[in-house]
Amino acid sequence: MASFLKIALRNLFKGPTTDPYPFGETFVPKGLRGKAKYNAAACIACRMCEYVCAGGAIQIREVADKSGLEFILWHNTCTFCGLCEYYCPTKAIRLTEDYHTAHRQEDKYRYVEKGFIKYVNCAECGTPMVPISPELLQRAYRQVNREIERLRHLCPKCRQKRALR
Amino acid sequence: MTKLLSKIAKRSPWLYRINAGSCNGCDVELATTACIPRYDVERLGCKYCGSPKHADIVLITGPLTARVREKVLRLYEEIPDPKVTVAIGVCPISGGVFRDSYAITGPIDNYIPVDVNVPGCPPRPQAIIDGIIEAIKIWETRL
Amino acid sequence: MTDIGHLIFNLLIFPGGLFAIVLGLLLMGIDRKIVARFQRRVGPPLYQPFIDLVKLTRKEIIVPETAHLQAFRLAPLLGFAGMIVAVILIPIAGVYQGLEFSGDLLVLLYLLSLPAIALMIGGSASSSPFGAVGFSREMVMMMSYELPLLLVLLTVALKVGLKTGGIATFSLSKIVGFQLENGALLFDYTMLPALVAFLIFIPGTMGVVPFDIPEAETEIVEGPILEYSGSWLALFKLTNALKMVVVLGLAVALFFPTPLGENTMLNLLWYFLKYLILLVISITIVRTSTGRIRIDQAFKFYLKYPTALALISLVLTLVKG
Repeated sequence: MASFLKIALRNLFKGPTTDPYPFGETFVPKGLRGKAKYNAAACIACRMCEYVCAGGAIQIREVADKSGLEFILWHNTCTFCGLCEYYCPTKAIRLTEDYHTAHRQEDKYRYVEKGFIKYVNCAECGTPMVPISPELLQRAYRQVNREIERLRHLCPKCRQKRALR
Repeated sequence: MTKLLSKIAKRSPWLYRINAGSCNGCDVELATTACIPRYDVERLGCKYCGSPKHADIVLITGPLTARVREKVLRLYEEIPDPKVTVAIGVCPISGGVFRDSYAITGPIDNYIPVDVNVPGCPPRPQAIIDGIIEAIKIWETRL
Repeated sequence: MTDIGHLIFNLLIFPGGLFAIVLGLLLMGIDRKIVARFQRRVGPPLYQPFIDLVKLTRKEIIVPETAHLQAFRLAPLLGFAGMIVAVILIPIAGVYQGLEFSGDLLVLLYLLSLPAIALMIGGSASSSPFGAVGFSREMVMMMSYELPLLLVLLTVALKVGLKTGGIATFSLSKIVGFQLENGALLFDYTMLPALVAFLIFIPGTMGVVPFDIPEAETEIVEGPILEYSGSWLALFKLTNALKMVVVLGLAVALFFPTPLGENTMLNLLWYFLKYLILLVISITIVRTSTGRIRIDQAFKFYLKYPTALALISLVLTLVKG
C-alpha cells in the first residue's frame, strides 16, 4: 500500500496526462496503418491486392457495360494489415494515417473506397484494355524512351506482334 | 421538461461490453479507453459496468461464434431500454477474417439492431471514443 | 404541532433529505474526481453522480421472472428509509442539535446496518447466483465490521459517561455537548486508537475498494445489485450517498465536533471541510492505493486490527477514567 500511495501522490502533483482528444487535437504516430486510399490512375489491375487481402475486403470487377474495371475496398472488413500496399507493384493502393472509422449503421455498406479504371482502346487494333500507368513503366524500365512510350498504347497482342517484327 | 432531462441524462452513458467470441484485441483496446489515463473515457461520464441491467451503451466485439450466439442474444435482451449498440472491430460488422467460417454465425446485425460501427482490427482508442460519441448522439434521441 | 412541523422539515430538507442527498452526492463526485487525479486522469465532472441519478430514473425497470417481487421491490426502499432517518440523528455542532433523546447512538447503530441488510434482501430475492454469493459475502463483512464499531461506540460512551459522572451515555447530543465544553476527543491520546479503528471501519461499511468484496464488479458483477435497474438502482445509489454522510458525520460527531464560531454558514462550511478531510483519508486514499482482498482476509483483518485498537482504547479509558 505504501509504494502505491507514493505513486498516487506523485501523480496527484504531476497533473493529468489525458489526451484532449474528443475536444482537442490528438497525436498520430508516424506510419500508423489506417484507412486505405486508392489511386485509379496508377492501378494496372493486376489483382494482386485482391489475392493477398486478408479480410477479403478488395474486389476488382468489370462493370456491367464493360467500359472498365471497378475497384471496391470495403473498410468494414479491412484489417489494416497493409499486405495490399506491400504487394502493389505500382503503389496505387496506400494506407493513410486516417483512423476515424466510426460511422452509423445506415452507412455500413456505403463505407467503401471506390475507384474506376476506364478501358482505353489499343492504338492499333482498337480492343479495349487496361491503361498502362506511368508508374509501371518507371518500375519496369530504367529509362522510358520513345519506343517504349509507343508500346504503352498497344494491347498485349499488338505488342507481341510488334516485338516479333 | 422531458427534453431537458434527456439532455442532462445523455452525459451519463454507462458502457457494457459483450465479447462475442473476439480474439481479445478489441477488448484490450476497450480496456485502454477506461484504464489508461491517456484515453480517459470517464471524462464523457462513461463508466464500465459489470451488469447488463445497468448498461446504456453496449459495445460488442467478436464475430458472434455459433456457440456464443444464444448467450449474446439473451444478454442483449436483459439490457433495459433505451439502449444503443456499437459494433467494435471488423468481426461483428462483417465477420472480418473469419467470414464464411463454419463456426461463425455473424454478422451481428442479422440478429440484433446495431447503431454504430467502428471498424478496425483493432480500431484505435480514439476511433472507439468517436464511436461512443456517435452512440451518445443516437441515445439522446431515444431517451 | 410546530414540533412535528420541525421534525418533518428536518427529515425532508435539512439536515436530512434534500441537504444530505446533495451533500452525499457531491462527496461522491469529489471522491471520483480525486481518484481520477491520483491516476493522472481528468475524471468526470463533480456533478456526475447527479447526472447518473437523472439518467437512472429514465431507464426501464427489469424484474427477473424468478425473483421474489415483494422483497425485491422493498429492499431498496428499506435501505433508503433507514438512512434518511439516520441522517437526522447526527448533530452538526453549532448548526443543528440532533434529536435529543438518550440512546440515539444505539438507534444509529441499528440503522447503520439497514443498508447492508437491504443489500442482502435484494441480493437473495433477485434469485441470481451472483446475488446469492454477494449476500453471503455482505453478511460476513457485516459481522466483521460491526464488532469494532460497537467497541468504538462503547469506548466513547464510557469515556463521556465516566467524565460526567455516570456509567455510559449512549446519547449522541450529550457526547457532542461534552466535547464542546471539554475539548474534542481527538486530542485525547487514549482515544486515538479508537479513532484509527473507526477510520478503518469506514471503507468496510462503505464497500470501497479493499473491502468491496460483496459488490466486486469484476468478480461477481456487482453481486446483490446485479439485477436492479432503473430507479430502483438509483435508490441504492442514493442510499450509498446518504450512508456516506451518516458514517462520516458520525465520525465527526464522535471525535471532533468543535465548531468554528457563532456564524451558522461558517460552521456549515467548516463541517463540510471536516467531511472532505475524512473522505480523502479514509476512502479516497485507501481506494487508490490498495487492491481488493479476499473475504476471509477481510474477516481476519477486521477481527484483528480495528478490534484490538478499539480494545486498547477501551482499557485505557477504564483505567484512566
